[in-house]
Amino acid sequence: MSAFADARTVPSGTTIETDIAIIGAGAAGITLALSLARKSLRVLLLESGGGAFDSKTQALYAGTQTGVPYLKLNASRMRFLGGSTNHWGGWCRPLDVSDFDARPWLAHSGWPFPRSEIEPYFPHAQAWVEAGPLVYDTGKAWFDTFGAPLKLGDGGVYTSFFQFSKMRGSVLPTNFGERYEADLKREPNLSLLLHANITNIALSNDAHSVDHLKVATLSGRSFTVKPKYTVLATGGIENARMLLASNDVMSAGIGNGNDLVGRYFADHAIPRDTATLVLFDGNLAPYYQNNQTDKAGTIFRATLAPTDGFKKAKGILDSLATIEGNAPLDDLGKAAIAATASSMNVDASNAKALSVGCGFELSPDPDRRFTLTNERDALGMPRLQLHMTLADSDYQSYRATLKELGRQLLESRIGMIRLDRATRDEWLSVMDWGNHHMGTTRMSGDPKTGVVDPNSQVFGVSNLYVAGSSVFPTYGASNPTMNLVALTLRLANHLKGLFT
Amino acid sequence: MSLKDKVSRRPFLAALGGLVGLSVVGGAVVEGPKLFRGQFRHHGYSELLSRLNDPDAANRLGMQVLNEAEVFEPQVVASELHRRLKGRVLADVLADDATQGRVVETSGWVLPETLALLCGLAAKIS
Repeated sequence: MSAFADARTVPSGTTIETDIAIIGAGAAGITLALSLARKSLRVLLLESGGGAFDSKTQALYAGTQTGVPYLKLNASRMRFLGGSTNHWGGWCRPLDVSDFDARPWLAHSGWPFPRSEIEPYFPHAQAWVEAGPLVYDTGKAWFDTFGAPLKLGDGGVYTSFFQFSKMRGSVLPTNFGERYEADLKREPNLSLLLHANITNIALSNDAHSVDHLKVATLSGRSFTVKPKYTVLATGGIENARMLLASNDVMSAGIGNGNDLVGRYFADHAIPRDTATLVLFDGNLAPYYQNNQTDKAGTIFRATLAPTDGFKKAKGILDSLATIEGNAPLDDLGKAAIAATASSMNVDASNAKALSVGCGFELSPDPDRRFTLTNERDALGMPRLQLHMTLADSDYQSYRATLKELGRQLLESRIGMIRLDRATRDEWLSVMDWGNHHMGTTRMSGDPKTGVVDPNSQVFGVSNLYVAGSSVFPTYGASNPTMNLVALTLRLANHLKGLFT
Repeated sequence: MSLKDKVSRRPFLAALGGLVGLSVVGGAVVEGPKLFRGQFRHHGYSELLSRLNDPDAANRLGMQVLNEAEVFEPQVVASELHRRLKGRVLADVLADDATQGRVVETSGWVLPETLALLCGLAAKIS
């Protein structure tokens, strides 16, 4: 097993030829590189960072922002081996069937294929992220061991489950750089270049294919990679930046003939303390509030999710609510519980009030976008500006789901809910974000509405592909990592087919 | 009705809209006599208010209902409550409210509509 190569030792002017160049060694890049190298393809994996965090490399991510407050662009992702799996939380859950559908009530929604297209890859993706067997909502055995789920009345909200990437030392989920380092080094067909920054995806003169990649290091070296195929896997923000900044042949940037690259950016909004959930008898299975581990080692936790039928019937966006710690009750809250429970002939002497958090889906918005600025980073690459938006209706959609949950609690006479954030100022004041960057190189069956086709190939550029959640055209509420790994495994199959 | 209407901040007002309209037609405003705290002895509403098992809590919650209602006409509300509760157990009516989607918000608390009206009435005449 050898060490990774260091781009800072490659002589300037060198040209490296390979079958497939993969730009970015995060979850998508590493999954793809190993999948392809195991099929005897020559793979070159190019990573901007080294084996650990470096502030000068991380600073290449810095950018500016307008609009709704959002995370700093150099703080919500990681630029070294493993990418953002260096700081992810390990939460996994497949996207819902309805997340793939074009929703009549939601403009710009829908994937070019149904979920069934990537379902075969879910078990494999589960293995890559080390989240155990694909159990999720089939986990009825958990009820026998850990307690029954909430007996909600019939309606639009149900108990669903997350699974978690294997914890290391009970703290850290699978870090792709660390976990797959030995595998990457072991593959004879795979080379990994650290400290290698792509500064230009150079197209052929007819703009129909990638001719070569320009590589630079912060130490001043520059050289060229000539791949047969190139896969951009630099994350949901940087993928767009690379396409926009490679504008020497196509002035608007690669794949941007319809002004779509960088648009439709999305993340999961994660407002804290959005509601107070009261259980009259105080009983709650432990998997609602904390991760549990079953005998097989599978780590799981419950979430309260809107059903596909409810979302469709009410025109609701997706969301995943979690039950957190104890919530304080004022006099009115105590009176509301006492009046309601007593009137329903229910004993509430042991009632428990719990805070509700969540992650909810944003509606696709072309104005939520990245553009290039005149400011340059240390490599001379234009920096990005984000214009962030968050529609009132997106939060109200989540609030409607909470209200439905409250209705179901009352119907079953087990509890009730208080919706804690009503005005925009109130819910913006508790807003956090998932660091789940999506949508900026969206997938579509039509080049007029997408940047990549259903195989993740950039429209019009025969040998350029994009991997990762930047291709998600609609987002759902599930955490993206396991889903993007599944999509990457599908891309790997497609690319293998091109060589056979 | 748009989504925004459905989840507006004070949907309870909308729920009361029909009742408010009736009160305007009737033109009646009844000022109930002050009652002893925790008791509902007003001759017109005693049967209704006796359904509440926790009068103090109902009164406190009802005050908030009134704070958020632009108009609350006791006679009209009482008439509606009599109609809903006639021959039925309150707990069943409240569960049925939830089943039928008749829930309202009071200071964010999602309540069966009938309970909100009953508590509002209790506070109004106390």
